[in-house]
Amino acid sequence: MRELEGLFDLRVKARSIAYLFATGATLGLLTLAFPHASEVRDVPLIVLAGIAYVVAAAVLALADHLREWHIHAVLVAGTVIVSLANYYAGPSTLYPLLYMWAALYAFYFFPLREAFAQMVFLAVAYAVVLAIQDADSAVVSWLLAVGTPLVAGLLISRLLGRVHEHAREVRSSEERTRLVLDTAPDAFVTVDRDGLIRTWNVAAERAFGWTKGEAIGRRMSELILPPEHRERHDTRRRALIENPDPLAMEHFEVELVRRDGQRFPGEATVSKVDVAGELFVSGFIVDVTERLRRQAEREALLREQAARAEAERVAEIVGGMQALVDAALAQRSLEGVLRDLVAQVRGVLDADAASIFLADQSGALSPGASAPGDLAGADAFAEAVAEAGEARLGQGDALVGVPLLADGEVTGVLVAGVDPPRGFTGEDLTLLRLAAERVGLAIAHVRVYEREHRIAETLQRSLLPDRLPHLPGLQVEARYLPAAAEAEVGGDWYDVIPIAGGAVGLVMGDVAGKGLAGASMVGRLRSALRAYALEGHDTGRVVERLNRLLWTEAEESQMATMLYAIADPAAGVVRWVNAGHPPPLMISGHGDAEFLRGEASVPLGVLPFPTYTEVSAPMEPGSALLLYTDGLVERPGEHIDDGLAQLAACVREAAADDPQRLLDHVLDAFVPPGGAPDDVALLTLKNLPVPDHFSADFPAEPESLAPIRSMLRRWLSHAGANELEIAEITTACGEAATNAIEHAGTGNGTGFAVSGRRQGDEIEIEVRDHGSWRREREDDHGRGIDLMRTLMDTVAVEPGPKGTTVSLRRRLGAREIPEA
Amino acid sequence: MSGLVGMTIEQRGEEVVLVRLTGELDISVTQSTGQRIAAAVPSSAHGVVVDMTGLEFIDSSGISMLFGLARRVGSHRQQLRVVAPVGKTVARVLEIVEFGRAAPIDPDVESAVARLATPPE
Repeated sequence: MRELEGLFDLRVKARSIAYLFATGATLGLLTLAFPHASEVRDVPLIVLAGIAYVVAAAVLALADHLREWHIHAVLVAGTVIVSLANYYAGPSTLYPLLYMWAALYAFYFFPLREAFAQMVFLAVAYAVVLAIQDADSAVVSWLLAVGTPLVAGLLISRLLGRVHEHAREVRSSEERTRLVLDTAPDAFVTVDRDGLIRTWNVAAERAFGWTKGEAIGRRMSELILPPEHRERHDTRRRALIENPDPLAMEHFEVELVRRDGQRFPGEATVSKVDVAGELFVSGFIVDVTERLRRQAEREALLREQAARAEAERVAEIVGGMQALVDAALAQRSLEGVLRDLVAQVRGVLDADAASIFLADQSGALSPGASAPGDLAGADAFAEAVAEAGEARLGQGDALVGVPLLADGEVTGVLVAGVDPPRGFTGEDLTLLRLAAERVGLAIAHVRVYEREHRIAETLQRSLLPDRLPHLPGLQVEARYLPAAAEAEVGGDWYDVIPIAGGAVGLVMGDVAGKGLAGASMVGRLRSALRAYALEGHDTGRVVERLNRLLWTEAEESQMATMLYAIADPAAGVVRWVNAGHPPPLMISGHGDAEFLRGEASVPLGVLPFPTYTEVSAPMEPGSALLLYTDGLVERPGEHIDDGLAQLAACVREAAADDPQRLLDHVLDAFVPPGGAPDDVALLTLKNLPVPDHFSADFPAEPESLAPIRSMLRRWLSHAGANELEIAEITTACGEAATNAIEHAGTGNGTGFAVSGRRQGDEIEIEVRDHGSWRREREDDHGRGIDLMRTLMDTVAVEPGPKGTTVSLRRRLGAREIPEA
Repeated sequence: MSGLVGMTIEQRGEEVVLVRLTGELDISVTQSTGQRIAAAVPSSAHGVVVDMTGLEFIDSSGISMLFGLARRVGSHRQQLRVVAPVGKTVARVLEIVEFGRAAPIDPDVESAVARLATPPE
């Protein structure tokens, strides 16, 4: 049985055999001390005992140096000594019992085979002794003396095998447990009832920094607990140990201390262990630093997520609210605003439907807008809300309504609804109240705006000429495009003012203020300009006066840009003043286009006494002047020069002889479909080429006279008449035309014709009407004829069946110019 | 288009009303112009000066209006004086119709106002 090797170390074997020798010797001596058979020979036995003592002493002394075979030898020596003792004691004694000692020793300490070898030696030795003694029944003695120890030895050996097996099992079980504990991630510690550490695994070494060797036997509370917790721990341990429940167990959180003094949070699970009547407390200790950190992180994450969700919800609601106001500010029609508002309210409340009811002046409600459709039962509910004057829930909680207030008056009711089983809460009510404030403001804002917008638009329209004057020889065309629907009424205006002497004033202006204020300022400037123009001031003085008007009377530094030009087709000149306005475009008869830059001055309303200097440029027959407002050429993010360059290019490309086509072409190119962001006004005046002969029809009304004079001046100028001749011929023709107008009522026609011809130096102008002249009369009519006759060379009045024709002739350059 | 005539009315002291006409005076505006001038002359005034320096054009209806005005102020023991610089069309027309028989024509405003303010003894 190899397994037995190593079970006992050599020292144990040596000591044991030494004791056996000593006790055997002592026992032998004791047998001699008492009465015994006479055949026993005392002296040799005493010597043998002495030898045994000596061997025992020697083995004891040399115990540390002995080998296995030394022990075998000593045992053989023992067998020899026992055999000798049997010899000297004689065959009748019980001395063979001493063999038992050797046999038991052999079987106890040696492997089975070696033990048998010792037994063979023993058997031979005793056989020799018996043979020498030649005793009776020698075989019986031998069998008993050898068989008994052999059987006893075998029994011992077997018993030892069992014991060893068990020990091995215990050892391997312990080993497993130790391995399990050492590879366990958590610290495992066992303490006895006094609190001293008995078990300390690898994880414990890692966790606390104390090695197993250092920890075992130390008081646990002093090793790994902070001082302030030690007493509590001891109390807890005692309570656990004294708990009668054998399965008592505790789980608790605990603060722990590492070897380096650093503290960390832990969790311990401890239980009571009863080992062979001795009570221990064992426990797993977990370092929860990491777990707490992760937990804290997770909690922080959850808190953050919750906070973000809340923030997003609030942001969404606030955004929704803002959108309500934006809706009001962006949309200019009440209908559009209401539509947007209900959509927004529906979104904010996550409602299935929303409606706005508006109150008229008597307080009666009418539906304003709904999304997505009408809300069942909302009308009656809205009435109830308006009646109550405060927010409430209705139809279970399926409807929520809140009055819209402006200056304490209910101006409407906002209602939202959800389909059951959903219902509104108090929070929704609060939200809707919040929404109602904004909605109320928005609606009030839009209502005010709409009223102002209507007035301003009407005013603005009334300020633009409803028809342009008919100017013979000139063609005037204008376009006015209000900005896209939701924009404010602009302060653009233009005007065409016939001026004494055949000139025509062209105005293009832009008052900075929009809406009502802007429109009313346009009105004042327009009236003032017409008055100043008729008083005959030059353009610079007119604009200076307008500036004075704006400077002194406008509210809060109102400002205006304007261009005032006087086109004098008779003189072939245009004179203008530019007060901060984009330059006019001169389009030559050949289709070339140049901006009239000249001298640009400050806009109106900027300085109290600026000087506006008039500039002039030739304006040949066939050329045209184009005036416009900045709405045409200004684009966000673009330099105005780019817009001007595009305009010039566009006009050149149009190469339009017809002013109407020119304006349409420009608008097509510059105004996007749906309208420009700002108002656009365009005005063009074309100086038509002057023909050698002309003929034009006029309505028989006094208003025709000025255009006729204007046309005549231009024609006469072209024909080479000097200033005096122009004035005199125009005066004479005016008389003829006045007569034609006065007589028109007597005939069957309503118009009259003026025609002109030039033959060499002589010009002839004919005025033909459809009435009949009365006899020459007194007073102004008489004076009229006088004037004609004095101012012209010949005057012929030819009455006819269909009317009267007056022919006026005069030779140019024939009369002397009177001294001034 | 309400005609091409411009008119400003000034009170010169207590005695004189100065009416400045600009632009063109033809039959489309003579009637209203005449009424406005007549209405602007209080009975306390010595008379009215019609300044036509800035007037570019006048026709026979304008002349008639001036003749009528002269008669009218005369009936109130008031006087009309007109100003028309020599050489201009208006002066030429006034000359042709011999307006000087109805009312004195002065070359400038200040002399007209001065003469009217201090009527002959």
